[in-house]
Amino acid sequence: MDFGIQNQTDEQKQANKEYPIQNNNEGNKNQQGYCAFLTIQFYTPYFNVTETDVLQRIQGTFLPLRPDFLNLIRGNPDLWGPIWINATLIFLITAIANLRQIDEEKENQSFVISYVPQATALLYIIAFGTPIILAGVMKFLGVDLSFFQTICLYGYSMSTLLPITILCYFQNELFLWLIIVYGFANSSLFLIVNLKEELDKLQIQKKYIIIGIVVTMQLALYLFYKLVFFSYVNK
Amino acid sequence: MTDNQQVPFGSGMFQGQAKFVDYAHMNQQDVQMNTLDEPVLDTLLRDINMILYKLSYVIIPRMKETQGRKLRNWDLWGPLLLSLLLAMTLGINSNQSSDSIFGTIFIIMWGGSAVITVNAKLLGGQVSFFQSVCVLGYCVFPINIAAVLITFLQSYLGFFLRLIIVGAAFLWSTFSSLSFMSSMMNEEKKVISVYPIFLFYMFLSWFCIFI
Repeated sequence: MDFGIQNQTDEQKQANKEYPIQNNNEGNKNQQGYCAFLTIQFYTPYFNVTETDVLQRIQGTFLPLRPDFLNLIRGNPDLWGPIWINATLIFLITAIANLRQIDEEKENQSFVISYVPQATALLYIIAFGTPIILAGVMKFLGVDLSFFQTICLYGYSMSTLLPITILCYFQNELFLWLIIVYGFANSSLFLIVNLKEELDKLQIQKKYIIIGIVVTMQLALYLFYKLVFFSYVNK
Repeated sequence: MTDNQQVPFGSGMFQGQAKFVDYAHMNQQDVQMNTLDEPVLDTLLRDINMILYKLSYVIIPRMKETQGRKLRNWDLWGPLLLSLLLAMTLGINSNQSSDSIFGTIFIIMWGGSAVITVNAKLLGGQVSFFQSVCVLGYCVFPINIAAVLITFLQSYLGFFLRLIIVGAAFLWSTFSSLSFMSSMMNEEKKVISVYPIFLFYMFLSWFCIFI
């Protein structure tokens, strides 16, 4: 099949011998350059959690006024939570929004698939886009923000939506608005209390910019939730 | 160089003009050379047999390690056929927007398999990417069966009966893929490696209820 296959293998063997030696000498960080964030090794330190850790962190989000959460993630922010809590939410939104509609009409029981791309876009943009915006704004104001910690914070703040989505199955309009407002208040407080130590590095007026951004995004999330996914169903 | 002259070259013999017979590494390459001449039907039948063989492993999940060996020859034909079948079954039965349903299911299945595999790798498991995508794809087969069943028996099944069929298919799929995947996961992080698989099959089976 290949002419000169012997020579190629020798060359390849030599190249393979040199590469691992370089790896050991310089260590992982130095030799990867600007595209490091595209490799798997870059993200491995952020998945250093077990299931008990994850459950504890989720529990920490339900009582926002206690500073438990920051102590739990100090030095070990994880990315598992943000990704999979949002994925669970996408499933729950699709499942429950379709379940609500199935009770009404017995003939035309087709399900609305458009919730899946809408929910995916909404949740991932807010969970990952807002920390990017915050990091950009803080850098513009001259202060550094610990990026992965903020992503972790935002991801876990979405866990407030887990029980809310399940409760949205019920058709009572007043009840739905009540739990949406409670969720908005809970997650906004949680985010602001935990961002406090980062915000203290700024002056007072500039703090309000950051708080404003956070609250606006949460408001957008919860309004979208109510008006698009779980809107009023006529009986 | 004449046709039948044999010239030694490395660990093999250089025979004639175009055929280098490498005696040290001769097994796979030699077999592949011979399959170029066979009829198309033979090739197709061999691939179909391979797919059916793997499906038999999915239908009867075995907890022993021996079952892993055959599944290591990963192929993506089976998952492709199964995903097309599932997406078409779910798409045909919906009254509106059948093309977006097809697209969404297809993307969920392939994107979901990829994300679960990367997740397992990030958590320190010893998984090979395509092997894991192959296993996750093949294990969608019970959900396919449930979707086809519900399609044909549509008017006879109430909501709760559908729930039971879909629930059984979901448990079957999950158990079947776990019996292969859990050996490759990191020991202490097993629950958080396995939860995405659970979510993935739940997602796909949930759509079958609404046909």
